[in-house]
Amino acid sequence: MTAQEVRLCGLLLQEHFGEVVAKVGTHLLKSGAQNLRTIIHETGISLDLVKKSLCVLVQHGTCVFSSGRKAPGSPTEYRTSCDRILRILRYPRYIYTAKTLYGDTGELIIEELLQRGDMTMSSTVKTVADRLTQNMEEGRSMDYSEVSSAFSKLVETHFLQRCPPMAGAGTKDSGTPATPATPAIPGTPAAPVSTAPPTPESFPDCYRVPHVTLIGRGKRRLSNEDGEDQRNAKKTKMDSETHGDEGIYWQVNFERFHLHFRDQAIISAVANKLDQTSSEIVRTMLRMSEVTTSPTATCTKPLSANEIFRSLPSSYNIPRPILDQYLTLLVDDPMEFVGKAGESGGGMYVVNLHKALANLARATLESVVQERFGSRSARIFRLLLRKRHLEQKQVEDFAMIPAKEAKDMLYTLLSQNLVQLQEIPKTPDYAPSRTFYLYTVNQLPTARMLLQNCYKTVANLIERRLFESKESKRLLEKSQRIEAILASLQASGAEPEQLTEVEEMITAPEKQQLEALRLHINKLDSAENQVDETIFLLESYVNSTMSVY
Amino acid sequence: MSIYLTRRDRLQGGPTLDPVTLWRYNVKARLRLEFCFHRVTGNTDVFEQQWAHEELLCRVTGGEIKELCQQFPHGITDQVIQNDMPHLEPQQRAMAINKLLSLGQLDLLRNSSGLLYRMKDMQSTSKMKGSDNQEKLVYQIIEDAGNKGIWSRDIRFKSNLPLTEINKILKNLESKKLIKAVKSVAASKKKVYMLYNLQPDRSVTGGAWYSDQDFESEFVEVLNQQCFKFLQSKAEAARDSKQSPMVQRNSSFATSHEVWKYICELGISKVDLSMDDIETILNTLIYDGKVEMTVIAAKEGTVGSVDGQMKLYRGVNPVIQPTGVVRTPCGLCPVFEDCHEGGEISPSNCIYMTEWLDF
Repeated sequence: MTAQEVRLCGLLLQEHFGEVVAKVGTHLLKSGAQNLRTIIHETGISLDLVKKSLCVLVQHGTCVFSSGRKAPGSPTEYRTSCDRILRILRYPRYIYTAKTLYGDTGELIIEELLQRGDMTMSSTVKTVADRLTQNMEEGRSMDYSEVSSAFSKLVETHFLQRCPPMAGAGTKDSGTPATPATPAIPGTPAAPVSTAPPTPESFPDCYRVPHVTLIGRGKRRLSNEDGEDQRNAKKTKMDSETHGDEGIYWQVNFERFHLHFRDQAIISAVANKLDQTSSEIVRTMLRMSEVTTSPTATCTKPLSANEIFRSLPSSYNIPRPILDQYLTLLVDDPMEFVGKAGESGGGMYVVNLHKALANLARATLESVVQERFGSRSARIFRLLLRKRHLEQKQVEDFAMIPAKEAKDMLYTLLSQNLVQLQEIPKTPDYAPSRTFYLYTVNQLPTARMLLQNCYKTVANLIERRLFESKESKRLLEKSQRIEAILASLQASGAEPEQLTEVEEMITAPEKQQLEALRLHINKLDSAENQVDETIFLLESYVNSTMSVY
Repeated sequence: MSIYLTRRDRLQGGPTLDPVTLWRYNVKARLRLEFCFHRVTGNTDVFEQQWAHEELLCRVTGGEIKELCQQFPHGITDQVIQNDMPHLEPQQRAMAINKLLSLGQLDLLRNSSGLLYRMKDMQSTSKMKGSDNQEKLVYQIIEDAGNKGIWSRDIRFKSNLPLTEINKILKNLESKKLIKAVKSVAASKKKVYMLYNLQPDRSVTGGAWYSDQDFESEFVEVLNQQCFKFLQSKAEAARDSKQSPMVQRNSSFATSHEVWKYICELGISKVDLSMDDIETILNTLIYDGKVEMTVIAAKEGTVGSVDGQMKLYRGVNPVIQPTGVVRTPCGLCPVFEDCHEGGEISPSNCIYMTEWLDF
């Protein structure tokens, strides 16, 4: 929970949930577990608002509550963690992945679940069907069963999972799906619960789709803009049909998405390094071991060459001996993506996940040094990564860089803390003339440092975006008003002259400014996504090393 | 004869000499002549018989010592000389040894059991004829330093001579073309001295990459590019050949010997490059991440194999594209550490961002 992480989380919460939630959230992040009274006292926010903010946070899974540490009867304590909030940055990527895998239906399901935190299956299906129907042509509507089947597919491949039921939360009214406007208040837990929150996976029914009776089609929204939202909310409240899945809330399984991203990264790295066919083979191997490998495994379960041959997509019609050759080449590659684990079944092969992540992280570090300091500094960096400890003279000789320049580059890298100095004394008094000074690079601490820098970068980008919008607030408001006027005029059938007159209320330079602003904000948005890719790689690498110990 | 010579001189009014002294000189000269003649012809025994009868006129001692030395090339001790010539008194022995030492024909060494006398090489003694002891000492030290040469301060330590003396001697020796000064590449102000006819060691001149103490970076760069292009074109040719993947990969490899031949044929290098030099260049390509290397076992005798192994090099593609964070200004910002909201440098007024957004 570093300062950069807290800052970034604060900004993300502010963007998605508003000022109050952001304040409460950051306060909890900074001070650890606290009970309600302390939060109210320290943030100075009224009880009502604090309660609502906590509800929002719990709904989205960012905050967990447990009974007090001091004694079983003491008030509940609330705790947040950074990881869950940082996932907000990655929402666009999740939605895009769902779209590529399961089409528009999948995309909307994931989007709804991400927005609402957790929902029952029936409500999700209904909402998604309504949205899809809205976008379809007149006269067509989306059938519930299609959406349900998409939902079930998502559950089968573990992208969605059940929320773990709260122990002792029987008084929770779970009838209505919680919306941000009317949060369900978590019931006061009477019985003491274990301090560690149960993981979703520890429940056997985690991925079981309940038997839900959902018959019907999506309803098209009426084209009445203003009263629409309220009407919808009223509708859901009055919708008291039970569908047999009360109390079963579903949430997005972020870990599974992360595994998917990791696989994507490995496949694209293989495609870059070797060729398309090898990457297809690795993709097949990873697909086959999707659900059998635990998230923290060092490598996948061994797969025999026969199995791989059978599971290859039919479009790649490669004969068996060629497949063997490709596998051998993959094993021999210095990057060690694939390893051989035995000879039975024509050769047992595994994908070395942790090693692949380490290699990708190393490539990331090298690319950062290259872009920031130049290719010769990158040469020195790679040299030190390979050879571990080297003296100044040796660095110059191996890298074939003149002594003066090599010294300069090494000192720059040292000042940026990318390279460390190890002293080995010859005499006990550490006299400088009688000590060896060796340069070295430690991959893991450097990766952590770079990760923090990435967090700071994203926070900077968000802040810049907010600043840009604030600068042009007046302009934006004006354009919004004009759009609203235009739309209402169009709806009530005005003449073209009136429309043009209204349009001309925005002058040309203002239009240009608006355009530029739009471009800027888009650029900043896409930059955030790009930095998030780096964050993902580095985070996975750091987590993979942690789980070993 | 001497009486006649002296009388004649007196009559002629020239410088007079005591006849006895004159006679002594004559005898000495004659003896010397005879001795030299006999020594050259190897008949010192004959000379002894003729003139050193009963040791009346002269005595042959030095030659015997020299012969003994020649018999024992790694040196003889005082004891050995005594054993061989028991009739010699220690004083005379010492005198003879001193004479030989001063003539530079004998080397005085010390070992654990005492002093050793060793025969000096005839060649080197002829060179140093006319130089004095100090010069000889300095020359000795420089010779011992061999290929790497020795710095003037080290000479001073070893010989315990003052600096001015050393400089004079060094200038002397240089003018005689016995030693030369070579500038070291490690410290450009340092000069090391070595014998005139020796090739300086690689560590001093820096080898093929240095010319006159300057590291030739452009030369290294050019070689770098050429090697990389060669390996890359080979890899592309292999990829386009559309054969089975194993064959493709194997044909994209090049041995270090092949690369060496290619570079030699290109003729971009004025200096002759050895295979080791090419391997250092290829190593820098590995550190650039453009090339990878494997070692395979090769039969002894195949061209380019060293100790039964061959190094193979292959051009590779990078594993990932430049990572996301470096596409933003913050990733490359030189004042990243100083940037805070509300400060002088903050995201809101960052000029790098402004430029990047308008790009």
